[in-house]
Amino acid sequence: MSDTALTSRSDDGTDLQQAQLMEELARQVGVRKITVLTEELLRDGQGSLPTSVTRAAAAAIVRNPWAGSPVSNDLAPETERIAPVLAKVLTDRLTAALGGAGEIEAFGKSAVVGLNGEVEHAAALIHTPFFGNLVREFLEGTSILSFSDDRAEPGTSIGVPMWHKEAASTRSHYQTLTLSLSDAPHPDEIVVIAAASTGSRPHPRIGDRTTDRPVTAEILEGILP
Amino acid sequence: MNIRKIVTLSEEILTEGGRPVTPGARVAVAVAVVENPWAGQGFVEDLSQGIDATASDLGALLTPKVIEALGAPVEAYGKAAIVGIEGEVEHGSALIHTLKFGDHYRKAASATTLLPAVEKRAPAGTVFDIPMKHITDATIRSHHQTVEVRIADAPHPGEILIALAASAQGRPQERLAPLSTEQ
Repeated sequence: MSDTALTSRSDDGTDLQQAQLMEELARQVGVRKITVLTEELLRDGQGSLPTSVTRAAAAAIVRNPWAGSPVSNDLAPETERIAPVLAKVLTDRLTAALGGAGEIEAFGKSAVVGLNGEVEHAAALIHTPFFGNLVREFLEGTSILSFSDDRAEPGTSIGVPMWHKEAASTRSHYQTLTLSLSDAPHPDEIVVIAAASTGSRPHPRIGDRTTDRPVTAEILEGILP
Repeated sequence: MNIRKIVTLSEEILTEGGRPVTPGARVAVAVAVVENPWAGQGFVEDLSQGIDATASDLGALLTPKVIEALGAPVEAYGKAAIVGIEGEVEHGSALIHTLKFGDHYRKAASATTLLPAVEKRAPAGTVFDIPMKHITDATIRSHHQTVEVRIADAPHPGEILIALAASAQGRPQERLAPLSTEQ
């Protein structure tokens, strides 16, 4: 790629330098590939959406620094080195794809470890403040992040759950973005994903906590034998 | 044209074969999930009406999307049509194998070669590979490459996926001798 090509990715020289710096930092923590999926939904079911909703997932495929290591291994040092870089790299791409943190209403995260690792390794990269706090800060949210974690072969289908970034129990914003990466994770890799949405599910209409009738097994006695 | 959603995919490859790729190699895809213009009409002999109503608009829609997703000048490109199981492969071919579809992309990318393509009929969530070749010389071996795409919930039986793919460079770590060395 030429220098001109790189420049076209950034507004000015400072952005360009920053982007190159982050790319090198990502390489240093073991990132092989970064994949971004965006999905602009215009209609669903039998109807158009009043306003289109865009959802995006940014995935980093990173070398598992603990693959094959004993379960007594302390995961903290590598977590503190790797997770903050992933949080920055992934949220940079989400805000670029969705028009800024201000446009984002819902968010979530996932990690999938390759077969030569433990689910605990995936968990280490997303379930500590070194990832979660930073994702929350960069996407300007306050909620805890919804998540999924798994161990799988390359090409596995990954559902990334999302909910409202400031009011997690907002039912309209419970949603899942599904993606798969053709060649990841390798046995010695971990896929780390941050995802966000500019709105709710299409045509949300299942009420909310404020509108629910009381439901208990006793109330439903006529339905449940 | 009835579009359900527009999906873009971008990849940055930072290392390959255990060695750094600097700058990162970039590949992008833009996909429109559209209603099959001939859905529910039985066998339609003359497809020209549906082509005229859809093909050029799709080319115009997807071209800026894939170029923006790539974020760099296009050096290799390709296209795809994946037809839902109630349609014919010919329906997908109809939408991508006309100049009125491809010329939007060729013009924007300053390209001259034909776009390599994949066409198939498949259920939602199918994996498909889009072949790409160099935009001005299809014999440039370094730029023969493929990007894989999967959209979990598309195409529905009455839909078609139409996609454009772009790469900003040849394969990461490409090191094959050029075709001319064998001639």
